[in-house]
Amino acid sequence: MSQMSSATIKQTPPDRRHGVLMLGNEAIARGAWESGVKIAAAYPGTPSTEIVTSLARYEGVYAEWSANEKVAYEVAFGAAMGGVRALTAMKSAGASVAADPLITSVYSGVCAGLVVVVAGDPGMSSGMTEQDDRYLGRMAGMPMLEPADSQECRDYVVLAFELSESYDIPVMVRLSTQTAHQKSVLTLGEPVAVARREPGRHPEKYCMLPKFSRPMHRYLLERTERLRAYAEASDLARVEPGYGPHARLGVVSSGAAYMSAKEALPGASFLKLGMIYPLPVEAIRRFAAGVDRLFVVEELEPYLEEQIRAAGIAAEGKQWMPAWGELTPERVGRGFFAAGLELPRWSEEKAAEDDSVMPRPPVLCAGCPHRGMATAMKKLDLDVHGDIGCYDLTSLPPVSHMHSAFEMGASIPIEQGFWRTGGAPKGSIAVIGDSTFVHSGLTGLLNAVHQGADITVLIQNNDTTAMTGGQTHLGTPKTHAGAPSAPVDLEGLVRALGVRSIQVVDPYDYEACLDALRAAQAFAGPAVIITNRPCMLFPRKIVGDGAYQIDEELCNACQQCMKLGCPSLSHTAATMKSRHKVTIDAATCAGCSLCAQLCKPEAIALVEAGVPGAAR
Amino acid sequence: MSAATHAPVAPGGGEAAAEARVDNVMVVGVGGQGVIMAAAIIADAALRAGRDVKLIETRGMSQRGGSVNSHIRIGTRVLAPAISPGEVHYLLAFEAAEGLRRAPSLAPEGVAIVNTQYIVPPLAASAEHSYPFDAVARMAAQGHAVIAVDGNAVAEQIGDQKVAGVVLVGALAARLPFADEVWRAAIAANVPAGWLEPNLAAFSAGKKVAAGPVYGADEEGAS
Repeated sequence: MSQMSSATIKQTPPDRRHGVLMLGNEAIARGAWESGVKIAAAYPGTPSTEIVTSLARYEGVYAEWSANEKVAYEVAFGAAMGGVRALTAMKSAGASVAADPLITSVYSGVCAGLVVVVAGDPGMSSGMTEQDDRYLGRMAGMPMLEPADSQECRDYVVLAFELSESYDIPVMVRLSTQTAHQKSVLTLGEPVAVARREPGRHPEKYCMLPKFSRPMHRYLLERTERLRAYAEASDLARVEPGYGPHARLGVVSSGAAYMSAKEALPGASFLKLGMIYPLPVEAIRRFAAGVDRLFVVEELEPYLEEQIRAAGIAAEGKQWMPAWGELTPERVGRGFFAAGLELPRWSEEKAAEDDSVMPRPPVLCAGCPHRGMATAMKKLDLDVHGDIGCYDLTSLPPVSHMHSAFEMGASIPIEQGFWRTGGAPKGSIAVIGDSTFVHSGLTGLLNAVHQGADITVLIQNNDTTAMTGGQTHLGTPKTHAGAPSAPVDLEGLVRALGVRSIQVVDPYDYEACLDALRAAQAFAGPAVIITNRPCMLFPRKIVGDGAYQIDEELCNACQQCMKLGCPSLSHTAATMKSRHKVTIDAATCAGCSLCAQLCKPEAIALVEAGVPGAAR
Repeated sequence: MSAATHAPVAPGGGEAAAEARVDNVMVVGVGGQGVIMAAAIIADAALRAGRDVKLIETRGMSQRGGSVNSHIRIGTRVLAPAISPGEVHYLLAFEAAEGLRRAPSLAPEGVAIVNTQYIVPPLAASAEHSYPFDAVARMAAQGHAVIAVDGNAVAEQIGDQKVAGVVLVGALAARLPFADEVWRAAIAANVPAGWLEPNLAAFSAGKKVAAGPVYGADEEGAS
């Protein structure tokens, strides 16, 4: 079906006179555009989001925010099957969601190139786990390239499309947060015109019935061996001779870890790997033969180290360096120091932060529509099973009232199982946002209805995908491309799933929130509450130009308003009964009025801009 | 300005010696203050001045009023984007407590430029935590060279608080060897359309302010 590729990596040294600064993710998009990508599909997820945001800005590219990563993968795969180069991008958790089509498509192969970008999150800047996606690629048998900076992000994507077509296989480009979210200097290439390939009809290739997929597995193993030969011969495995006293130390590394290792131990000899599956084991063996000690430096699990040792090559790695968190130069340097190397720069552990300074965790924005319901659920002392969204911030102080938050769509089935056990003394509830609900909440709710679960589900509907920066989703009235679309009628959708108790509530009305929660808890059978205020991601005033202000004379320092965790509220120097009184920052107050609703002495009132005390 | 002296210099110099010369700038603040834009201007200026540069920053959830930081590394050739503890040469703090939090990251010869703005988080209302209103004094007492700048007051005089971040960029620019044209071009490329004039005014004002007193033990920080 295909022959050995002559694809070579064009290592472009950064040209600072003609270079541009780009995020790793933007460089991925640039490389894809230069490669003639026409179709891109993804669901937003840190640290991968900017890839498709950026790609969508290029002329001639169709880009969509799909329902979820599985759907996005299938859209991109369908495009590659149809003969057009396509890309999908996802975070680690999204790769798990997309695992089914990902694994199967490696058997079938493609018509035009398909590149799958998976951005892992060592250090968990926003992920729920530090899952090491290299094992997924290896399990699937999908070739994997791992860039180390923005230049390589661009170069490797260009190469990945060539490999994908030469070897008839989707190719993964694996990133970690340090690569995806670094800005570094990049020399751009020119876009190439790529004609649509003739897709034809190939049921033996694309119908994954045992009759067809059994030979496809053998075909995969054969392609893997040819790719291994390519990896061995390719200059993707680059030897960098050392110098000075550390020249006889060898380091095998790739991606972000390579940059950290190179900085931590610049005089060592390096074998820098660009392709991490299949692994060029013989190139590693030759390199190892020329050094006294071989270190493997990699973020997270000992993925490379295990394969190198399994090949009978002596190597050190995870006994010196942590299998968690980002590998910064300092953490790698400390590992080398622990391994007995003489390295003054890394000889002592240094603090990066003064831990005595009060913490500053992220909080819900001023005027955030999630705040009313969060405060009401805390008031009723419900057990709250959250999902993936900004509302998870209510698990942190000062709200501190959420009892589980796992993965996309988990809230409703977890609440169903929890309810089966007898539930919580004061009741329990599933909380999910609109974007997450259309990502993977629907099936869970349908399941709960079918099984007759007597549960309450709160859909915190804010008309956007907030946590990743405000992307469109199936429920918004526009697509990412700006085309009008029929927004999902959430109420009608929930009714169609068989829910008989549906309440639509203004989350800025605190009493209405309490009433709705009580009514839903009292209803026999699944009950759904939908809130109806948009996200405050782009801050605006809810009530004209005014802001709420506190009359310090009337404030009795009861602290009810401070429980909201609103960033516009802070303490003044004045005290009553040794508790501080409160003030409101008029510049940031959005006017949601929740603090005024909670204020027993009625010390908080709306003040029109420029007219102190005008309105009450 | 102080050159980095931390990375080991290889015998024989050459490429390895060049690699060792890296200046580290860390910009810290609170999500929503404009740290990302300021970092983009600084990195862009470095590129326009013909230097290699890498930048990495907090993205995603921390933007919701949490602590944010950007690492910018400038040199002949920069490898890792993250600055190692104890190697920050210029700490540009948009908010005083965030400056104090990151003060241990400063190199011995490092300089902190601290905006005397105090953003008290809701959490400081609890019994366990209090806000460090003495952040600047504490940093100086720790032996760091500190330049205190009331960026918001300067910005207010220019006409809008929104340009406070570029006042601080101006204060940093007073200590980096890039020409004014380079900075102006970088500002023009990174601020929103229609905001160039007030931002250029903020930049110039910031450069003047940075000539003010330097607190702390290290005389090298004074310009």
